[in-house]
Amino acid sequence: MSFIINHLSHIYGEKTTLEVKALDDVSMKIADGEFIGLIGHTGSGKSTFVQHLNGLMKATSGQILYNGEDIYDKSYDRVKLRYHVGLVFQYPEHQLFEESVFKDVCFGPKNMGLSEKEAELKAYEALKKVKLPDEYFYVSPFDLSGGQKRRVAIAGVLAMQPDVLILDEPTAGLDPTGRDEILELIKELHEGGKTIILVSHSMDDVANYVERLLVMNRGKLVMDSSPGEVFRRFRELQGMGLAAPEVTYIMHKLNVFELPVNIRATTIDEAADSIMSLFKGGATGAR
Amino acid sequence: MGIVETKDLTYEYIRRDEEGNVEGITRAVDGVTMSIEEGDFIAVLGSNGSGKSTFAKHLNAILYPTEGSVFVDGKDTSDPANTWDIRQRAGMIFQNPDNQIIGNVVEEDVGFGPENMGVPTDEIWVRVEEALKTLNMYEFRKHSPNKLSGGQKQRVAIAGVVAMHPKCIIMDEPTAMLDPLGRKEVIRAARALNDVEGVTIILITHYMEEVIYADKVFVMDKGKIAMQGSPREIFSRPEELKKLRLTVPQATLLAYELKRRGLDLPEGILSGDELVREICLRTGKDMEQEKYKKALSEFAN
Repeated sequence: MSFIINHLSHIYGEKTTLEVKALDDVSMKIADGEFIGLIGHTGSGKSTFVQHLNGLMKATSGQILYNGEDIYDKSYDRVKLRYHVGLVFQYPEHQLFEESVFKDVCFGPKNMGLSEKEAELKAYEALKKVKLPDEYFYVSPFDLSGGQKRRVAIAGVLAMQPDVLILDEPTAGLDPTGRDEILELIKELHEGGKTIILVSHSMDDVANYVERLLVMNRGKLVMDSSPGEVFRRFRELQGMGLAAPEVTYIMHKLNVFELPVNIRATTIDEAADSIMSLFKGGATGAR
Repeated sequence: MGIVETKDLTYEYIRRDEEGNVEGITRAVDGVTMSIEEGDFIAVLGSNGSGKSTFAKHLNAILYPTEGSVFVDGKDTSDPANTWDIRQRAGMIFQNPDNQIIGNVVEEDVGFGPENMGVPTDEIWVRVEEALKTLNMYEFRKHSPNKLSGGQKQRVAIAGVVAMHPKCIIMDEPTAMLDPLGRKEVIRAARALNDVEGVTIILITHYMEEVIYADKVFVMDKGKIAMQGSPREIFSRPEELKKLRLTVPQATLLAYELKRRGLDLPEGILSGDELVREICLRTGKDMEQEKYKKALSEFAN
């Protein structure tokens, strides 16, 4: 069991006229090895929420248990929590700063107090994991392409060997192939045993990759289910500034014509399976 | 002559190491010749680093060609005397709305452009009102921009450009940082400016769905134009697009998968509605029935 979150709230400007509830009574459990997506409109509280999970922000009220320990206990080592729960911010490449890629990735493990040798080993492993070719290890991170920079930034967090990896909009601004590459990398990290929380504005990305989807609206957790179940409620989602994948709309529209299709389909493959079953009689080229 | 004419446009920049020694020369834009008709909606696709942003910065004289020429509304961008005219005629919108807003109040922000151009005060207010109404942001005119959503901020930024009465607006990934509603708002605004006001739009994007309404699509690769044509022509070539690190819209992708599995569908399906129509035809459903029409109209997504 990695996280138990009980009635978490975060209020900015409490007891002033400008009081804003950024997080409003959020409760959930997150098990080891889950692949979770988190969607919500700009300002819905997604980023605020994930910054609580690694102790960067402290709740106004409520409780977070990580592996059974209360992270707000006086004796709890919240600095260590940051090594267990790695957070990759939006546009993480803006935080690259060292003169070489390798040095940049070493920064995290060195900060953890590891020896030079150990830190370098961890950095090497992390760069291998994100599949950055060796010839780039000693170039300036600023000479890399957008997708490569993002890999290096992710490696910087991976080098601390977190159990939980949270990524805030990891594909923003990347070209379609760059998006796929980063998502495949995240999928591999999940298959390697990490718990993943993917914050995204791309409904297609979460539909294709995650097993469980959380929806936040105005600081509240309003949905927590499989992508198929969440996107079935696309009208509610639209009311929250969100949408469903195009595939979901296509299935629902076919359903309007009384065609028996799977309205929970969210990926191309699921939709194709369902649509092809309409033509089982062999009438596929009926013209 | 079109609103934008580039001829053999080439842009090179010199890479230097930390001591300032020349390391090499990068050719970011490589011999681009393009003609854009006034009133067109143009989309520019390309992978990260393909040169599309560098190209766009030439269209309102932020960058000047190393070789070749750029004419905007008949004016040569390399002549410094034309710079201000060109920036007024070709406005630019960037990815991050927060970097483009300077006013403390929405209407002040929108008025900044025309004020800088020396428009008389009375007319500034008329233009601000018009621009905000066009972008559907009039009710927010007294708001502080930092309380707005991403899509609203981006529409304020567009209103700021519209108030300068440009003939052409260049949008460089205006939706990259927005949520689905924000994306929809911005694209809808861009299409309305094009349809209703006749403003030429040049949209640079990584979202294939945003391109399907364009009159013409240019695909850039390594600083050159690799493909050009209507959205239907471009998205009928998925293999080529894939090599250029791009893809096709989701509905097109699904149509290809269905074809691969043996369903007889036409080439170049772009939207979900087209695909739904084709499937209904093949199942013998009568799409004209009132009950269907009514149920479909409730989607409006």
